[in-house]
Amino acid sequence: MLTVKHLAKSYNGTKKSLTDVSFSVSPGEVTVIIGPSGAGKTTILRSINQLIRDDDGEILFDDVDMRQLNRRQLRDARSHIGMIFQNYNLIEPLTALENVLHGCLGTKSNLAGMFSLYRNSEKTEALQLLQKVGLGDFAYQQCRNLSGGQKQRVGIARALMQHPKIILCDEPIASLDPKSTTVVMDLLRDLATNDGISVLINLHQVDIARTYADHVIGINNGQVVFDDRTAALTDTAVTDIYRKTTSSERSLVYEG
Amino acid sequence: MIKPENQVSLPTQLPAGPRFTIPLRFRDRRRVTMLITLLILGYVTLITLPTMIPDHFKLVEAITGFTENIKIMFLQPHLSNTSWLSLLGGLGQSILLAFLTTLIGSVLAFFLALASTRRFAPTALVLGIQSFMAVIRAIPTVLWVLIYSVVFGLGANAAVIGITFHSVAYLTKVYADSMDELSPEAIETLQAMGLKRPAIICQALIPYLKPSYLSWTFIRFEINFADAVAIGAAAGAGGIGYQLFMSSSFYFDFHEVGVMVYLILAFAVVLEIISYRLRSSNTAQH
Repeated sequence: MLTVKHLAKSYNGTKKSLTDVSFSVSPGEVTVIIGPSGAGKTTILRSINQLIRDDDGEILFDDVDMRQLNRRQLRDARSHIGMIFQNYNLIEPLTALENVLHGCLGTKSNLAGMFSLYRNSEKTEALQLLQKVGLGDFAYQQCRNLSGGQKQRVGIARALMQHPKIILCDEPIASLDPKSTTVVMDLLRDLATNDGISVLINLHQVDIARTYADHVIGINNGQVVFDDRTAALTDTAVTDIYRKTTSSERSLVYEG
Repeated sequence: MIKPENQVSLPTQLPAGPRFTIPLRFRDRRRVTMLITLLILGYVTLITLPTMIPDHFKLVEAITGFTENIKIMFLQPHLSNTSWLSLLGGLGQSILLAFLTTLIGSVLAFFLALASTRRFAPTALVLGIQSFMAVIRAIPTVLWVLIYSVVFGLGANAAVIGITFHSVAYLTKVYADSMDELSPEAIETLQAMGLKRPAIICQALIPYLKPSYLSWTFIRFEINFADAVAIGAAAGAGGIGYQLFMSSSFYFDFHEVGVMVYLILAFAVVLEIISYRLRSSNTAQH
């Protein structure tokens, strides 16, 4: 489904943010990336849909290397990759319904995108998706009036509107309260189990990774240090993932 | 080893009382230069001002004359040479001149702003357009109208083109600035969903920036109205400004000038109320 091979990325030539990251994501599974802040989790996620252009490696999405695509092909590929952000990144002055409908604009014409020309079937689908995430009554609310948890659910509905094969979530619950966290994570879990969508999530909370993930990838200092089923994520493994890199190791990594 | 005669003995007690005045600020050459310049300018002004007053100037008569004219203008306004209809027509003409120039200006400026915001355009283009617009802005509107009147002759055409010209430069700047302030996240999100640029502009940029566009455009409308009145007089573009010019400089009819001033004032108050409403309804949304 999605295979990342030998991904490496440096931001200013010398300091390496990622060194040789390889992993794969299976269809219909929740894969969680954990690791300390600054380990490179966000970089990995953004490299997948090429929001960050990586330096080296291969990103195979449905056997196509995302790095080799031209602009048009990349737009096409991106329109089938959902993305969910920590700050929701909705267009706040617009309504929830309009935001969800943005999800289908990637495959529509310029004219439709400019003048918000949607088919009735698309509008119906968007309303159904809002109902699915429990926001049927909020379809015509401006997004700036919604709570954090509600915004994130609109974000999920928007991603679903793309008919995605994979949804990338960059710290989706970092700004949410515990109750909203459960709602959002349950929803993501349900998408993988029942709709067969691959879900790749960056997380800080190990306990949530244990509850919801099928597959856990541990990242430390730009390297994969753990890659196994969730059951294998023991306390010692967690300590290892969050271990501070000693200065000698770090200099080795930077130079290498 | 220090010889005894060379040894220094410290005084046992320091003299009492403040020995240094503590400055509040460090001495700054720039401040000193500025102070000296201001002093010189003040001196020059003081000695030249009396020489500027003509010999036949009589202060008391001047003041009474001034108050008399003010009284005629503001306390006894009435029409004599022009009718109310033509006066309102003139006001309408000035308003329409301001409206037309703002409308054309805002449309042109929007596209120029898109080409000169750092969010979308390459730096060379941004700098090119912005510095060109800065040059246009540096020259006042009235001057642009006069420059264009060389081509079109004095009249409405030169006024429309000239005011539009300055409006475009002004609005391009403020539109581009508000585009630069927009958080890149919104644009990036839509890019991540595979949206094309025209769609991103219409779906993210415009919804976020509509309030600030509206208020900036309205401010420009107010400026353009004031310019339209002034240019009506200066470039013969018609409107209430021209009538004002005729009745003050041609007929010396201060009663009529008073009516016109009140009319313009009333319209300015209406504009102010509208722009206040516009702003408060925008802030209420946030």
